[in-house]
Amino acid sequence: MRPELLKGHLDALLLAVLEDGPQHGYAVIELLRAGSGATIDLPTGTVYPALHRLERAGLIASDWQTVGGRRRRAYHLTAAGVRALGEHRAVWDEFSAAVTALLGARPRPATA
Amino acid sequence: MSDPPAAALVEAYLDEVAAGLYGPRQQRKRILSELRDGLGEAISDRHVDGLPPDRAASAAVASFGSAEQVASAFSGELATGYARRAVIGYVATGPLVGIWWLLLLLPHPWHTGLVAFITAIPALPIVALGIATAAGVVATTGRLIRWLPEAAPRHALAATAGVAALAAAGDLFMIAFYVQSGVHAEATAVVAVSASLLRIGCGVHVIRRCHRLSRMLARC
Repeated sequence: MRPELLKGHLDALLLAVLEDGPQHGYAVIELLRAGSGATIDLPTGTVYPALHRLERAGLIASDWQTVGGRRRRAYHLTAAGVRALGEHRAVWDEFSAAVTALLGARPRPATA
Repeated sequence: MSDPPAAALVEAYLDEVAAGLYGPRQQRKRILSELRDGLGEAISDRHVDGLPPDRAASAAVASFGSAEQVASAFSGELATGYARRAVIGYVATGPLVGIWWLLLLLPHPWHTGLVAFITAIPALPIVALGIATAAGVVATTGRLIRWLPEAAPRHALAATAGVAALAAAGDLFMIAFYVQSGVHAEATAVVAVSASLLRIGCGVHVIRRCHRLSRMLARC
């Protein structure tokens, strides 16, 4: 998938991945990859800044833990993040229905 | 990560990423800790898939993207982080400078109202403009971006440099005003002038950092 197609949707996708519970950054990115059937396969290191931006916006929050001697940052949705995900879903449903209605339509037979 | 060559590969990669990161030290440190943890997980996953440690480390590093690509992806967040930290610093420490000027040039008790206040502290309009600009930076780079348009990192840096310049202009103005006023030198004046000179020095540093970060952003 071309990265520019993801523009504007990455925030919603990251929020959706965190909907089931807290995850650390690498797990979020792997779930994004696995959940999209590897269609969304961005360089892992470039997805972390998107998580940091969501935290700055107050849509997710993070806690630092120490696991196996390594410092780990686990992210979770905030109440504002849950609301934002709901809004993203509503907008996406409307948008995808409109696009599917146009792009998904079979070509009409030519009229004489 | 118990394999020394694999650990060396990860550390070399992180050093390369670190060399491309510019911004607040704590923020850079947290980024590198997070990347180190993620790489550790990525190596474990590949090891479980059957790759030997060195090949697992190479594959994990490759999946993260080039060090330049990763550092570049963080440049906006680091620039925004610096801008927020700097303007919050100005807002938090501003009263510590202002209070001394206020104590020194307080309006006469029976001269009241805004005009009397501005006559006594003529830099107030500059201070007000600085506070408004700082409030704009904080609002458009923090939680309010859920409702307000988000400031692009380069705009946040420009506004931060503007706040620093306004603060320095206000300080210079107050020092010049005091020197011309003929008020007798006293301990309060020494503290007020010293605080302003210190802030002017900090302002020069902030403007230079903003300029450097802007140049880094332009390269990404």
